[in-house]
Amino acid sequence: MRTGVFFENYGAEEQLWDSQTAKTMMAVFVVALYLLPLWGSDYMVAMACIVGIHLIAVMGLNITTGSAGLISLSQAAFMGVGCYAVSWFARWGIPFWLALPMAGLLAALIGMVVGLPSLRVKGMYFAIATLAAHFVLSFLFREWTPVTGGPGGVNIPAANFFGIELVGDHRMFYPIYICVLLLGLAAANITRSYVGRAFIAVRDRDISAEILGVNLLRYKVLAFMLGSFYAGVAGGLLGYFYGAITAEYFTFGLSVFYVAAIIVGGLGRVLGSVLGAVFMTFVPESLRLMSSALSGSIPSLANLLLPMGQVVFGILIIIFLIFEPRGLAQMWARVRRAFHLWPFRT
Amino acid sequence: MTRNRRQVLKTAGATALLGASAWRPAFAKDKADIVIGAAHPMTGFMSFAGVASNYAMGDYINWRNQSGGVLGHKIRYVGEDSAYKVDQGVAVVKKMIASEKPSFIFLDGSPLSKAVARDVLATGTVMTGGFSSSEALLDQTLYPHHFLSGPTFGATCQILMEYIGRIAKASGNVPKIALVTSDQEWGTESNFHLKARAEKLGLPIVQDIVTKPTGVDVTSEVAKLRRSKPDIVIFQGYIMNPVPEFVRQMREAGINAQVMSTTYGVDRIMYDALAKNGERLTGVMPYRYGYDTDSKMMTTMREYVAKVRPQQESISLFYIHAWLTGMIFCEVAERCIKANKNLTLPNMKAALESIKDWDTGGLTGLLADLSTHQIKSGRVYSYDPASKRMEPASGWIRV
Repeated sequence: MRTGVFFENYGAEEQLWDSQTAKTMMAVFVVALYLLPLWGSDYMVAMACIVGIHLIAVMGLNITTGSAGLISLSQAAFMGVGCYAVSWFARWGIPFWLALPMAGLLAALIGMVVGLPSLRVKGMYFAIATLAAHFVLSFLFREWTPVTGGPGGVNIPAANFFGIELVGDHRMFYPIYICVLLLGLAAANITRSYVGRAFIAVRDRDISAEILGVNLLRYKVLAFMLGSFYAGVAGGLLGYFYGAITAEYFTFGLSVFYVAAIIVGGLGRVLGSVLGAVFMTFVPESLRLMSSALSGSIPSLANLLLPMGQVVFGILIIIFLIFEPRGLAQMWARVRRAFHLWPFRT
Repeated sequence: MTRNRRQVLKTAGATALLGASAWRPAFAKDKADIVIGAAHPMTGFMSFAGVASNYAMGDYINWRNQSGGVLGHKIRYVGEDSAYKVDQGVAVVKKMIASEKPSFIFLDGSPLSKAVARDVLATGTVMTGGFSSSEALLDQTLYPHHFLSGPTFGATCQILMEYIGRIAKASGNVPKIALVTSDQEWGTESNFHLKARAEKLGLPIVQDIVTKPTGVDVTSEVAKLRRSKPDIVIFQGYIMNPVPEFVRQMREAGINAQVMSTTYGVDRIMYDALAKNGERLTGVMPYRYGYDTDSKMMTTMREYVAKVRPQQESISLFYIHAWLTGMIFCEVAERCIKANKNLTLPNMKAALESIKDWDTGGLTGLLADLSTHQIKSGRVYSYDPASKRMEPASGWIRV
């Protein structure tokens, strides 16, 4: 039986998986996840697709905010850029597997412009700059009717993979989760590369990082571009998934939702993004289902129970922030450690 | 006993006729339940509308079941909360389609109606209606399964402009009109139609103000109105705020223009708020008001509400809208069953489009025509301080 995880050199500490068991467990989980459309109900697969799309956006924000410390309140707007971009790419006949990275690149280019002020301002001041970017982009989504369809939104032709129309949750599941896997692996690898370490150095003390030879402008803008790229891909997938989207989707509330997801999940860690996105999507949905079930048996309580679900969700977030500010990922790490060291205590 | 050829043919013909009349689709034979689902915004910023629409659908279906259902078929209602969020609404609809197999679904607005269109169409057995009045949803290529339970935003604006045009013609004075519209679909779509109809009728638009739906800097917008001195200000795309504050500041600035709106902007919440400042709202309503005594169905609705929910003070536009949508769902189902057809989308669409000169029990004033997937009629009402209600200012107008 294994007790604890021991690193004998720095290279071992930087490995993606700290043990063969972890690697095997992750492989089993990924295989089980990819088999979901074969055994899951339509509803489960649909929810998994929605979580997958949010997960990509959250992973991107976790690079920008969690790793590099740049608070971004414009993640939803970059998703919008990706979504509107694929609506045009699809109309031009560009296949979805090419349209998605192109949408990500377009969002990253805009992210580069938005990220430029990060050299002069930081912290809350930079957050306000990204807030301004959010409102500028939202204005364009609503008003640039020839491109975005205005308040009525756009229709996105179905994604097509060598003649197979990717319509419906079961067919869209795989493109979404292939993107989740690729972008998740990329995010995990960025964290353990020079770039990832530079992001952390910039986040923890940017002046020290600059003295150590980290180019602040390059890495701050790069962090913002990477986050925007992820949001652009997520937006593109969202467009293909729903087939029609309006500007109302990309609200400031959605950006705040993503910030909350990385805080609840755990800043700067891919696992934190996963747990945060899952928690923020499934908990309100579970509370809603519970409220609906209860209000079915006691109809007079329906109007009381449904809003109570949101109150309970809010209280849960506060409890997490008070008792585990490092997020669900840290809780998970503690649980793992407890099992690894059993019967000893941590 | 021997039979000649004529007798054999007669017997065979009669048997065939009896067989054909005895044949009924499985749905009709089993007296299966008709399932109506709904994704109402029962929480969130649209909860005032969603709670009302949930009550309305439930009430109508209970009332209808007590009256025998649809030709003996019981109706089962499944209402869920969408919170006016696309993700949640989509999850609700997908879960509903998978587990409840509904034939009809009420949706909370345009974004959700568009987002679930592919899934709904893929079933081939679901028809949808809901709160949106956007003409985009009348596109028969993308949304053949959807209908509006009233006129489009554009149609109500045309009715309002027609009314202004008639008054102008009768009085000989051409009024100067200012438009204040929100930058959301309801506002922008209306804005386009208001201007187009005004141009056609020769009515001058002297100011065109577009604002956010909430958090509007009223002072600067009122200053614009002061310069243009309009006779009529049409507010479009607001359920209440910021209109009362807007009008209050207009009066302080010496602007005595008449205040007008349409549909959701002429519900009780709006006319009561304006009346507190002594204002008299005029606007287009697609249905009769909940207190109207000329409509048999409205009386039924009032009596039912008084019985099951005596604490409910009034019947809102959202309630009437959802009740009427429930009526349309049942009418479509009834026509399919009468024609011995299963509840598939092509059959339901054909049934919907066959609804012409349909009596809604007076809810819509004129006999309803749903052949174009909408009911293109409405009436202008004006606030009466004596009765503290909106009273008819015109007959029913069809555009």
